[in-house]
Amino acid sequence: MRRGPATISSGDREVPGIEIAPGLRYTEALVDWLDPPAVVETGFARMAPVHHYRLLHFDTETTGLAGGTGTRAFMIGAADWLDGRFRIRQLTLTTMAAETAMLRTFAEWLSGDTVLVSYNGKCYDAPLLATRYRLARLPNPLAGLAHLDLLHPVRRHWKRQWPDCRLATAERQLLGVVREDDLPGAEAPAAWLTYLRGGPARNLRRVAAHNAQDLKSLAGVLLHMARCPASPG
Amino acid sequence: MNALPDRYATDDLVLRDPGDGRTLAQRLSKRYAARITGAFVVPAREGSFAPLPADLPPALAQALHTRGIEQLYSHQAEAWTATQSGAHVAIVTPTASGKSLCYTLPVISAAMQDKAKALYLFPTKALAQDQVAELLELNKAGELGVKAFTFDGDTPGDARQAIRLHGDIVVSNPDMLHQAILPHHTKWAQFFENLRYVVIDEVHTYRGVFGSHVANVIRRLKRVCAFYGVTPQFILCSATIGNPQEHAEALIEDAVTAITESGAPTGDQHVLLWNPPVINPDLGLRASARSQTNRIARLAIKSGLKTLVFAQSRSMVEVLTRYLKDVFDHDPRKPPRIRAYRGGYLPKERRAAEREMRAGSIDGIVSTSALELGVDIGSLDVVVLNGYPGSVAATWQRFGRAGRRQQSALGVLVASSDPLDQYLVRHPEFFQDATPEHARIQPDQPLILLDHIRCAAFELPFIGDEMFGTEVATPWLDLLGEEGVLHREGDRREWIADSYPAIAVSLRSVADGNFVVVDRTDGRQTIIAEVDYSAAAVTLYEGAIHMIQSLPYQVEKLDWEGRKAYVTRTQVDYYTDAIDYTRLKVLDCFDSSHAGCGQAHHGEVHVVRRVPGYKKIRFYSHENIGYGPVTLPDQELHTTAVWWQLPQAVLDAAFEQRQQALDGFLGAAYALHIVATVAVMAEARDLQKSVGSGDGAWFVSADFSGRGQIRGNDGQPATPAPGAPFTPTVYLYDAFPGGIGQSEPLFQRREDLVAQSISLIERCDCRAGCPACVGPVLAADEAAASTPKALALRVLALLVAL
Repeated sequence: MRRGPATISSGDREVPGIEIAPGLRYTEALVDWLDPPAVVETGFARMAPVHHYRLLHFDTETTGLAGGTGTRAFMIGAADWLDGRFRIRQLTLTTMAAETAMLRTFAEWLSGDTVLVSYNGKCYDAPLLATRYRLARLPNPLAGLAHLDLLHPVRRHWKRQWPDCRLATAERQLLGVVREDDLPGAEAPAAWLTYLRGGPARNLRRVAAHNAQDLKSLAGVLLHMARCPASPG
Repeated sequence: MNALPDRYATDDLVLRDPGDGRTLAQRLSKRYAARITGAFVVPAREGSFAPLPADLPPALAQALHTRGIEQLYSHQAEAWTATQSGAHVAIVTPTASGKSLCYTLPVISAAMQDKAKALYLFPTKALAQDQVAELLELNKAGELGVKAFTFDGDTPGDARQAIRLHGDIVVSNPDMLHQAILPHHTKWAQFFENLRYVVIDEVHTYRGVFGSHVANVIRRLKRVCAFYGVTPQFILCSATIGNPQEHAEALIEDAVTAITESGAPTGDQHVLLWNPPVINPDLGLRASARSQTNRIARLAIKSGLKTLVFAQSRSMVEVLTRYLKDVFDHDPRKPPRIRAYRGGYLPKERRAAEREMRAGSIDGIVSTSALELGVDIGSLDVVVLNGYPGSVAATWQRFGRAGRRQQSALGVLVASSDPLDQYLVRHPEFFQDATPEHARIQPDQPLILLDHIRCAAFELPFIGDEMFGTEVATPWLDLLGEEGVLHREGDRREWIADSYPAIAVSLRSVADGNFVVVDRTDGRQTIIAEVDYSAAAVTLYEGAIHMIQSLPYQVEKLDWEGRKAYVTRTQVDYYTDAIDYTRLKVLDCFDSSHAGCGQAHHGEVHVVRRVPGYKKIRFYSHENIGYGPVTLPDQELHTTAVWWQLPQAVLDAAFEQRQQALDGFLGAAYALHIVATVAVMAEARDLQKSVGSGDGAWFVSADFSGRGQIRGNDGQPATPAPGAPFTPTVYLYDAFPGGIGQSEPLFQRREDLVAQSISLIERCDCRAGCPACVGPVLAADEAAASTPKALALRVLALLVAL
């Protein structure tokens, strides 16, 4: 016989942040992290230089990698430079119904001159969000924005030197970041599902920490590459 | 062995003057009267025409003029009117009657006038490509600016985005819709928002398990369309089947306007049913169908008639091609006159064959069913079928390949030694009178339905008491919730699992996964065949001789869990036949009725199938030369069945011994299975037979002389206690978990089936029983009254309605 998922009742239900809409948690942190030049050279990605205030680093945490209309983001992290400090904002769903509110909030963080920064976001996060906006019958705010996907330039530069070009590898090689108690990305879906079904929130908090570190590393890798000479041809 | 007449002896039948199908039919009938078991003529029909509709966009009308189309056939004009009124339309007209224009006109004009989009679904990629080629030609002729693309597994990734955004007409297949388009419908949002027409051609192929899947894919399509606020119009096309309108309505679950009168002119069509001559009366051996097919085709081609030969297997295509090439293509300096056409050839090769046929430079083409579906090869004079294609409808579809406007055409069905073939060819009236088979689907078959509700939940959340097809989806959603793939919040149930359910659901095969057959001969590792799960236990056990294109391979190892059978090429003079014991137990009886002195029922049954061993049987002589053991898990199945029973008192009065009654039931089951397979247009493997006790206490299997042996639930020979009830029962059951809806129509036609089984056995030429009537029996010396044949007739006679 099939057995249903256990309905768990856990005492640990603490999801950080404030509830800005029913089922939607919001966190904001200003951290001291690197020192961006006013204008970031993005020639390595064949783009004109960009003023740092236009950059929005973003990364989603999702229910899986299967793709298609059945995969959703339960967390969107986005970070930008605010008065020289790094501002990390995260939206987390504690109910599925809050998805529309999350998508609306994220849309408010974008404007016409935003330059998105991501790691494989062109192929993964952006299409996934496009699907979610479409399902929520909302306009897709990412459409038409400039998008700096760092995966491809990193691959071009280092794929021969490094065992792989995952963000974790890039941050270790370029920034010397070593993560502690990091929740592997593959366990993120289960962490949220456990919480959603009434289980403990511990791993969901670890997902948030992981997501925040990804955003910091994104900025770090971008600034590192901005200092590299433009890649030939 | 009696030699056949010399291969050139028939050359005096060659038509010296330009002839046609009629003259060849006449000559064949005169010369081979004894081989021709049925001859009839479908009379010529005048064309019925209509002017181009006045409301056609002028540029489209101009394009039609350019392509030489000045007027429409009446059915094309009707289809235009019906589509313009907003109705769903089903067009059912013969092969080559210009069906595609029926949907091309409304689709193109809507694309030109309203930027409306259309989705075409064809069962095969080749047909999709043909259709796009045709659309492009029309588009070019009128510079209409309509963009048509195929979208299938071969479409490169970088082209897909452009097709989604810019395709006015996207030509695909149900499998792609199921696995690639619907689960990614948001990428197709623009397309769906403007979707006006869904064209589904060759709907007669969507029957049985496949059709039940496709009906559910259509439910999902409609659900996604509703999300985008559109309700597209369906245009369905079918070759001739018995219930086109009903079938079309079952597929789309909506009313359709059926157009069934073709306005295309045809010449008269002559049909001959041909049974190869008996060459060994003692063994009942007939000449091969191949030799006869070859002879008829040779005559036709020599008489200057364009000829198409259909063979049942790819290897038979090669053999027949070779024989004809030996006669017609022996001069390498001349362009070939004979070509083969089958699956497994490269598309380029097939296109070349099609072109040459259309251009008329080929005189004979030998094909598998690959040519059956609408591939355009121009017009032909003669079609020869090497063996019965499995249904009356398919037979007419293939015959329909022959026929030019004013000329008479000839179709010849050459029977093989297969029992179905022999049955058909001995019942010419079946052909003449038969309405073609009914196509049936069972979209609410629980396993299939659950698969598609799963896929649908992935595509869009279910909200409240949403219907899926004809039922409220809630109980199924609860099941998926328990499984953990859906999460319920309020009245919404959303997909939550990290999986892509459509990948795990194949539209074309039954549950539990196919087995692949891997050839390991000489260190190879080549997949040479696939076998359905349901057939694996009886064809792929270790030691089995597995025939592929009539070459014998021996199964060396069966990996049941991994769904693989490893085989090597072998040279043996025997084939193997699984001994399979099937035990049925009635769980629920839906309906009962009197059947002569007994009763007929249909309902739900529990089937346990065990394969304890196999027999080795020598080719030609069919003697049993050994046994082998098989160790495989029992297979259990809940399904539906129809069954017949006779009360003990009646049996005791009619038979001196119970053994005779058992033999009679076995023979009756064999004959009923043959006629039932024909009646419901089933694949033989989807419908199975069994004989057992009415209370499930024992079952009967044929021993190697063809006599019934009672076996207990452990499969061992058994003798029921003298006082125990004796109610042998014939079951015909759906070999698909949960049933696929064959037993109810069989129950409806129960009287017919018994009557046809009687006539099948009575008319069989054999003395005591043979594979064409009651199943193989060993020649025995008993009295005529107790042959298996006579005993089966006695059982059936008791079941005839009084």
